[in-house]
Amino acid sequence: MNKLKNKITLAKNKWKDLEDNKIPIIFVGAASCGRAAGALELMPEIEKFIGEHNINAEILQVGCIGPCYLEPLVDIKMPGQPRISYSNVNAKVLSNILKSHLLDGIPYTRAAIGNFSKNTFMDIPPLFEHPMLKPQVRIVLRNCGIINPEDIDHYLATDGYQGFMNALTKTPEEVIGIVRQAGLRGRGGAGFPTYKKWTVCRNAPGDEKYLICNADEGDPGAFMNRSLIESDPHAVLEGMLIAGYAIGANKGIVYIRAEYPLAIERLKKAISQMREYGLLGKNILKSNFSFDIKIKEGAGAFVCGEETALIASIEGKRGMPRSRPPFPAISGLFGCPTIINNVETLGTLPNILRNGADWYNRFGKEGNRGTKTFSLVGKIRRSGLIEVQLGTTLREIIFDIGGGVQKNFKAIQTGGPSGGCLSEEFLDLPVDYESLAAAGSIMGSGGLIVMDEDTCVVDVAKYFLDFTQKESCGKCIPCRVGTKHMVEILDRITKGEGNTEDLLTLRNLGDTIKKGALCGLGQTAPNPVLTTLRYFRNEYLEHIKEGRCRAVVCKSLIEYRVIKEKCTGCQSCVRVCPTGAISGPRSEPHNLDPTKCIKCRSCYEICRFDAIAGDAIVIRTAEKRS
Amino acid sequence: MTKEKTVSITIDNKKLHVKPGLTILQAAKANNIYIPSLCAFEHLPSYGACRLCIVEVDGIRGFPTSCTTPVEDGMVIRTETQELRNLRQEVLKLLLSEHPASCLFCSDKEECINFQGTIRKVGNTTGCRYCPNDHRCEIQTIVEKIGLTETSYPVYYRNFPVEKYDPFYDRDYNLCILCGRCIRVCNDIRLNGTLSFKQRGQKTTIGPAFDRTHLEAGCEFCGACVNVCPTGALSVKTGKWYGKQDKEGETTCNFCSIGCKLILQTKNESIVDSLPDYDSPLDKGLICVKGRFSITEYVHSPWRYSTPMEMTPVGYNNITWEKALDIAAEKIKGVKPDEVLMLISTQLLNEDIYCTQKFMRKIIGSEHIIPTPLIYLNNDFATYWNLCTESQPLEVIENTQFIFTVGFDSTYGYSPIGIRIKKAAKAGAYLVTLNDKETNLDLLASASFQVEKKAWYDVIEILIARDGKEKKHTEAQKILKEGAIDLNRLKKSLSKTKDKLIVLGQDILNHPERTRLLDRFEKTITKGGWKIIVANPYTNLKGTLMLGGFPYIMPGDILKTQTGEKVKTIKTQIVNFDLNKKRKLIYIIGDAPDLMIPDCDFLIYQNALPASFKKMPDLILPSNLFPETDGTIINMEDRILMVKKVIEPYMESKPDWWIISAIGERLKKGKFQFKDMQSIHGEIKKLIKGFPKIKDRLEFSRINAAGSKKTARFTPVPEAKRAIYRGIALSEVVSGMKVIERSLNE
Amino acid sequence: MSDTIDLIFEKYERAQDQLIPILQEVQRQYGYVSPEAVKKISRYLKITENQIYGVSSFYAQFRFSAPGRHSIRVCLGTACHVRGGATLLEMLERELDIKCGDTTSDKRFDLDRVACLGCCALSPVVQIDKDIYSRMTVTKLAELLKSYE
Repeated sequence: MNKLKNKITLAKNKWKDLEDNKIPIIFVGAASCGRAAGALELMPEIEKFIGEHNINAEILQVGCIGPCYLEPLVDIKMPGQPRISYSNVNAKVLSNILKSHLLDGIPYTRAAIGNFSKNTFMDIPPLFEHPMLKPQVRIVLRNCGIINPEDIDHYLATDGYQGFMNALTKTPEEVIGIVRQAGLRGRGGAGFPTYKKWTVCRNAPGDEKYLICNADEGDPGAFMNRSLIESDPHAVLEGMLIAGYAIGANKGIVYIRAEYPLAIERLKKAISQMREYGLLGKNILKSNFSFDIKIKEGAGAFVCGEETALIASIEGKRGMPRSRPPFPAISGLFGCPTIINNVETLGTLPNILRNGADWYNRFGKEGNRGTKTFSLVGKIRRSGLIEVQLGTTLREIIFDIGGGVQKNFKAIQTGGPSGGCLSEEFLDLPVDYESLAAAGSIMGSGGLIVMDEDTCVVDVAKYFLDFTQKESCGKCIPCRVGTKHMVEILDRITKGEGNTEDLLTLRNLGDTIKKGALCGLGQTAPNPVLTTLRYFRNEYLEHIKEGRCRAVVCKSLIEYRVIKEKCTGCQSCVRVCPTGAISGPRSEPHNLDPTKCIKCRSCYEICRFDAIAGDAIVIRTAEKRS
Repeated sequence: MTKEKTVSITIDNKKLHVKPGLTILQAAKANNIYIPSLCAFEHLPSYGACRLCIVEVDGIRGFPTSCTTPVEDGMVIRTETQELRNLRQEVLKLLLSEHPASCLFCSDKEECINFQGTIRKVGNTTGCRYCPNDHRCEIQTIVEKIGLTETSYPVYYRNFPVEKYDPFYDRDYNLCILCGRCIRVCNDIRLNGTLSFKQRGQKTTIGPAFDRTHLEAGCEFCGACVNVCPTGALSVKTGKWYGKQDKEGETTCNFCSIGCKLILQTKNESIVDSLPDYDSPLDKGLICVKGRFSITEYVHSPWRYSTPMEMTPVGYNNITWEKALDIAAEKIKGVKPDEVLMLISTQLLNEDIYCTQKFMRKIIGSEHIIPTPLIYLNNDFATYWNLCTESQPLEVIENTQFIFTVGFDSTYGYSPIGIRIKKAAKAGAYLVTLNDKETNLDLLASASFQVEKKAWYDVIEILIARDGKEKKHTEAQKILKEGAIDLNRLKKSLSKTKDKLIVLGQDILNHPERTRLLDRFEKTITKGGWKIIVANPYTNLKGTLMLGGFPYIMPGDILKTQTGEKVKTIKTQIVNFDLNKKRKLIYIIGDAPDLMIPDCDFLIYQNALPASFKKMPDLILPSNLFPETDGTIINMEDRILMVKKVIEPYMESKPDWWIISAIGERLKKGKFQFKDMQSIHGEIKKLIKGFPKIKDRLEFSRINAAGSKKTARFTPVPEAKRAIYRGIALSEVVSGMKVIERSLNE
Repeated sequence: MSDTIDLIFEKYERAQDQLIPILQEVQRQYGYVSPEAVKKISRYLKITENQIYGVSSFYAQFRFSAPGRHSIRVCLGTACHVRGGATLLEMLERELDIKCGDTTSDKRFDLDRVACLGCCALSPVVQIDKDIYSRMTVTKLAELLKSYE
């Protein structure tokens, strides 16, 4: 323990040095999303700049603070100044920022979105006053984008592993009691009380028990777990220590998607640092508790997020779920009692153990304590990763945090492919497990996909069903066959070939699958269809009766047209058309032959963005069928 | 009597007391409560995929599957509610949209049944009949039970080509409902691992790796997958268009010395299928390709002799039994004892052997009754027999910690031994295999020696010699090095364990150093420390000797319990019969495969199929085959097993004992006559107490073949290479076996 | 191949739960899982080749034919779908004249879909080899392909 205390003192000093920096520090948000937006290309530019100007500065890669729409994010902290955050940084903006801020010491306000202090600094407001961040309550994400995820000292300096050390001073039963008092529910989707599962496992006979961290975040449109691991891996690993201690497990496994290479890399680094600091291994911190953590990469199967399938996958088998009982808490991995907790559940634990159950009870509402992270994406103005108290309304999330929708709001999908699609009337629905379930959706792991009037709900429902159908393991009949029928019917409807009876069949199928399927994937698969049928029936009927897709999405129901008045005859579209559907001499309005058009969107894009083109190509509902 | 522990449950308002540990489905079944189910199968691990066996249980959310949910005390279960009925119907409809269902909902269904006798096969290829499994199909039963009369979903015909390129069974995966029974039986029961689910979701298919054929993929053609398939997806080539069997009967397989129990299904006195009995303690239903698939084609071979035949200058003439027996009696009358040679197969039944030896001894007065293995093994026969008498019951395998297989492979035979070995190896037993080619046990072996035959002796020395002595076997040292086998580990695990078992395969019989190897094993076994199981191809070797089908061994003589003799010394050198000497008469029952038949004046050949030897018999007497006759055999475990008549004999063929007895009667004017089985048993009983109803294992004496060592001459044994029944290789008669044999020789 | 694959084995225990990690490493080194590799793994883990194939074909990650020089993965996560990911895939299938899951005959590209790359806020995204390209359009993608040999 003393050895670690020394390390903590050193870490705190190191952190203080960072806060009272003597030389400029440049923070680059380099989680996967930042990298996709081009953050890594900025690194050599920065290095080049400080090299050329002979500046003594430190460059740090940090994780993701959340507002992905502002990526890439670069922060600069000059000595004696608060840390300033810049958004949408490209090479050109970067050079302006560096010139102004690094050389002249004057923040480049045009690109700055906030500073890290509590007060406005040189006209730059505090970052956490930013409309996207202000309504948030950041417990799990408290370190994200702030500390260097690859440095355990940063985590220790911000009270990391304090929760675990507190846990060690208590009995495992007491730890479970605290988690019970805190009212923590599983953040993987179903919201099962964490302490209940733990108690079953704790009491299950057997010397060998396993704790698995489920980081197989497969929901398309969800990236909370990736972001948390990339930005603050130790939080999750500390949670694993606490959970392992509570249930009496000595072996921990992180089951993580192979599609998340950066997260895997950071986990590996973090684990080796833990080992170095004596936080893993035999008799950790001289206690009786021994624990080790291994990483298992998933191999591309959504269904492996399901507990029993995940276990099969770790055992080297096909990731097919099995019926319960026996429950994994009694007979799981290799037949041993096993607890599988979601990344976010684990990430929450250190906070509860550090600050106590009463503190945690201050957040959320009765029965739905604490906070939940969401990835807010789709047709939203401010997309990104957020964390709010349970019970926050959808309206607050979409409009206050997300800044509203690009066009008119149509729907929001919660819970990914297992969730439901909710209409405008649910905007004041508090986001908690029970309310969402009552509306026919689920909390899920936390994907929120916002749709506007350009999104076709039938198409979205088909998309989700197509996804679950492709990801179905194929074991049980309702899921394997039922989803296929649903996809075919939806496909028919999006082609304008459906009939009203189809809607009844869809409902019956949905009902059968919900009740009859073996696992969670199947049982929830019909949700997107059932909810859209309930809340957007008219759109289905439009497709069926009028052959019309009001969002102009369903390919069979739309057509491309050239507006002659606008066409400049620039021939850009003629060049990109892969089928020769567009013709016409230069400088004259072009013709588009609808029989040749494959609706590939090439002409539309070129006409909108090409300088000389006139935005003359439109996509619109096809002429009514005869 | 101690009361068995039970739990009390309520199913559909009925209070029941059931054994703990059962699933709800099993508990219901035990109490005659029907719950529809498709993917569950009694002897397989539960799977929970078809979702038809769903029930409602108080306190459990949703609709748990009864095949996966264990009973608990106080459980209240409902198997039939409106909601369950609806849900089952809906699930079944979905199932049927993956499975062509014309046989279920066709408006002309009734009509069709009346005419199916004529249109079935044509219907399958040209019309609406997709499936060979009509009236044997579990889906049909379930549809009826669940009361489905129509389906609203379109059928996705998956358009898989029907796979007909492998021997014995065809696969039409368009009919497959992916219940996984075949995969479970192949992996969990047979421990073979040929079948696997491939891909996932809608694209899921079943089969071996990549697009390999089953033959390429290591399939044993045990047909277990076909047995458990609830649909017509898997069907036996020979029986697929016969429809539902009208009779079935149990018997014992006669293709090797294990003697597996078989359930033969018949229709119109033809065998249409041959199934295992999973409850049979001896073989546990783990029958091999021979018992599973070779019987139909063998018994119903177009080459079967239908009547007795006599050679004439213009070829063979069909004659009556009267005439045939007269000719035989005529030729036998007056021959001197050493002018006659009786060659018998060791695959005859005890009763046949008893009659034959009695005929030889009492009527002709000759000891020249020779079981064919004696000819091939000559001096080694005694050693081989002695090892066979030491052969342990199969259950020993599972309790052994160290298993050493020599020349053994159980891909196409001996699977009750092979699978037990695999089971033991999976449970942690140290398995060492020795052969000159890859065997089906190598994958699970801790060390496998694939070495030339000439190095076998050295390898054997390494394993069975005392520590330190292996050094001098340089050949073996080389092998260890090349095979990267850790001798220390091997030796360590050898010294650790007391239960050490040698499994001697049939390949040893063809080893050029057979004598040396068999002697080495005999020495090892008698010294103790090692046990042995001899996988021997001679079905009724034990019975042949016990019933006196051997020169100078009288019926009952070889039984240790009877005589108390540990070693029986044969008076005369056993190979002293000059096989090249010209005889007046040679009488062959069964065949003498590939043998040079010595010159003779008259050759009687008594068997079911034409002989493999070149010499043309003068008289041919058609025998029954084992499914056509009653009798007994003594298997390698030294147990008496019942062979039972399942079908009427083919044409005019007769049991071997009947033929011998009928000839004897002609010669002895009514004094040599057996009416039936009982009369034979009655006589044997006088010599062997309790025969044939002896439950315990018999015990046999060893043989001391005094002074016969010098004349030893190596003759390869045909049984070592191919599966042979009554002298005829199965591959000569059974097309699938031919395909397998060809692939082995490639 | 046999030497390097043995080196892979040295890092893993002889137990079935090592199967997927071994397959992943084989695919990392050779680009795909060949029948020869399956045979080797079978011997090492004492599981039949059929069982290994059954497991590996379940997972989308494993491929059984040699990949192209560059691997294109079109993200079809929800956010990408809503913003036109499918159109990108169609365009690639047309331009490269292959179906999703195949490799071009000149072995330049192989094409596949991926459920979600977790860059939803920057959708639609396409991954080529290790690089992720955000906010893709049909025209931008066509341009991008030219930079890959």
